[in-house]
Amino acid sequence: MKIENAKAQMRKGVLEYCILLVLNGKPLYASDIIKSLKEAKMIVVEGTLYPLLTRLKNDGLLAYRWEESTQGPPRKYYELTDTGRQFLGELEGSWGELVDAVEKVRKSREK
Amino acid sequence: MKKTFTINISGTVFHIEEDAYEVLQKYLVNLKNHFGNDEEGKEIVADIEARIAEIFSEKSSDDKKVITIEWVNDVIEMMGTPEDFADDEVVEEPLTAEAKRKRRLYRDPDHRVLGGVCGGLGAYFNMDPVILRIIFVVIFLITGGAALLAYLILWIAVPKALTTAQRLEMRGQEATVKNIEKSIKEEVNEVKESYKKFKESDTYSKGKKSMEGAGDVVYNVFKVILKIFVIIIGVILIISGFFGILGLVSSMVVGQSFVDGWPLIWGPEIHGFGVFNHFVDPGTVTFGLIAIGLLAGIPLLAMLFIGTKLVFRYKTNNAAIGLTMVGVWLIALVALITVSASQVGNYKSRSSMTTSQTISCDSCQTLYLKLAEDKYEDYAEKDWEIENFKVVVVNGDEVMLGQPRLDIEKSGNDNFSILIKKSSRGRNRENAKESAQDVIYNYQLSDSTLLFDPYFIIEEGGKWRDQAVDITIKVPEGKAVYLGDDMVKVIHDIENVSNTWDGDMVGKYWEMKPEGLTMKEISK
Repeated sequence: MKIENAKAQMRKGVLEYCILLVLNGKPLYASDIIKSLKEAKMIVVEGTLYPLLTRLKNDGLLAYRWEESTQGPPRKYYELTDTGRQFLGELEGSWGELVDAVEKVRKSREK
Repeated sequence: MKKTFTINISGTVFHIEEDAYEVLQKYLVNLKNHFGNDEEGKEIVADIEARIAEIFSEKSSDDKKVITIEWVNDVIEMMGTPEDFADDEVVEEPLTAEAKRKRRLYRDPDHRVLGGVCGGLGAYFNMDPVILRIIFVVIFLITGGAALLAYLILWIAVPKALTTAQRLEMRGQEATVKNIEKSIKEEVNEVKESYKKFKESDTYSKGKKSMEGAGDVVYNVFKVILKIFVIIIGVILIISGFFGILGLVSSMVVGQSFVDGWPLIWGPEIHGFGVFNHFVDPGTVTFGLIAIGLLAGIPLLAMLFIGTKLVFRYKTNNAAIGLTMVGVWLIALVALITVSASQVGNYKSRSSMTTSQTISCDSCQTLYLKLAEDKYEDYAEKDWEIENFKVVVVNGDEVMLGQPRLDIEKSGNDNFSILIKKSSRGRNRENAKESAQDVIYNYQLSDSTLLFDPYFIIEEGGKWRDQAVDITIKVPEGKAVYLGDDMVKVIHDIENVSNTWDGDMVGKYWEMKPEGLTMKEISK
């Protein structure tokens, strides 16, 4: 149970970063985001994504617009806001630092 | 053949089979409960619904047009249940929702030692569960079993907080006096508003609308009164149920001394269960006690249960708990009636045995009747309601004593004689006779003095079967008896010529004359 918890927390921390990454460049709608995240095995159930998208949107990192779809209801297309892009830049920096730090720790143990 | 419904998910129309519809609806309600009712929650649910609509439209673009239960299950698996999200939401929980939720009492599985009752109560009252546990242990030590019983009831009755929504409810809005006051105030405002509307609606007198308005006002006023009433009733039920159980348990376990020692605690006082041991077998006593305990205890438990439900508003399977309680109560009732009926059978027939002894005292003209010393006077006497019987404790053993009755009659011959008749009741004649044989009664004759024991004894382990010892002294004509002062305790309605009362007969000489017993003037 504890291990599961740690894993979930790790994934959760990285998940927001991944969503921003996926949305960097072009606007996507939820199914696209889900597809890329599922391929990367970042999420298991789709339901996890929607609360995160809403929260990121409410925090001003994401914005969305409605687009008509040929096959079904209109879709919400999410894109990064300026704040989002800035935040993503910061995250990339700290992610790099994190990966470096972990690598260093691992290497020092292997010696 | 299956019934289908037409539903609208996120603006798209679908046909759905009945069973699939039920599963889907339950799932969506779960989601709504999980994400809460605020803006954010609604938006999340709307997004999920949109996604579900999308999946369904993809699937139904083939020739199949109706949503089946398989599709719904697929969708649920893809989207995940609230329990799945809960795993990913260990750290953060939407704070905004917390403030708005009303609190319910749940058991807290994350902070538990036994069943999580104290943890849940701690969450409910916003207290450290450790403090509650200490209080609980102290109450447990003071009251004996009662607190444990209360704990078990809560354990059984209060549901565990499983889903995130339940966990949030567990720590929701504080149920302080202030908050209760606030919610009542809100309701009062509602009443005022609907009354105002009713007044402003200018159709004071006529029309359907005013009737509805009046109905609203009455309804709202009623609702507020009911709410206050429910809380008061709940508190009263909890208090009386708790102390009732406390009284019951303590009087059953420790006996009456305990209740007497706690005059502050109110409770139905059930006295002296130990007394039963003299009537029925120990096994039957235990059985009967359990039945009595259930008979009195279950309504008290129900009071406690309903009271806590009214105050804390937790969800339970009322029907199952109610039926179980009623069922056990009825069983206890039947058991008790059966036991009582079989016990009454023990007193059905009466039998007796008589022994007689001629008193050879040719020389003596007068027989002196006296009572021996009361050996049991100094021993502790137990509370006992039956006339002519008493129970004393001798060296830790309980001894049952009965008072004999003495009568004086005319003898058929020239000798004094004494008749001792022991009698008892029983299931049948034989049984009654055995009981009669177990009665021990002694007297002593020395010279012209008869010394009677003040009591007869029922042998150890014997049960009370309305045993009796009747002593008859036969006095020949021309001879006399002297009744000692103590004899007033045992003499019973002795016939005499002057119709003198028993109490006045003692301390005097009585001569048997042809017409009967006559008081002899002291001619010394």
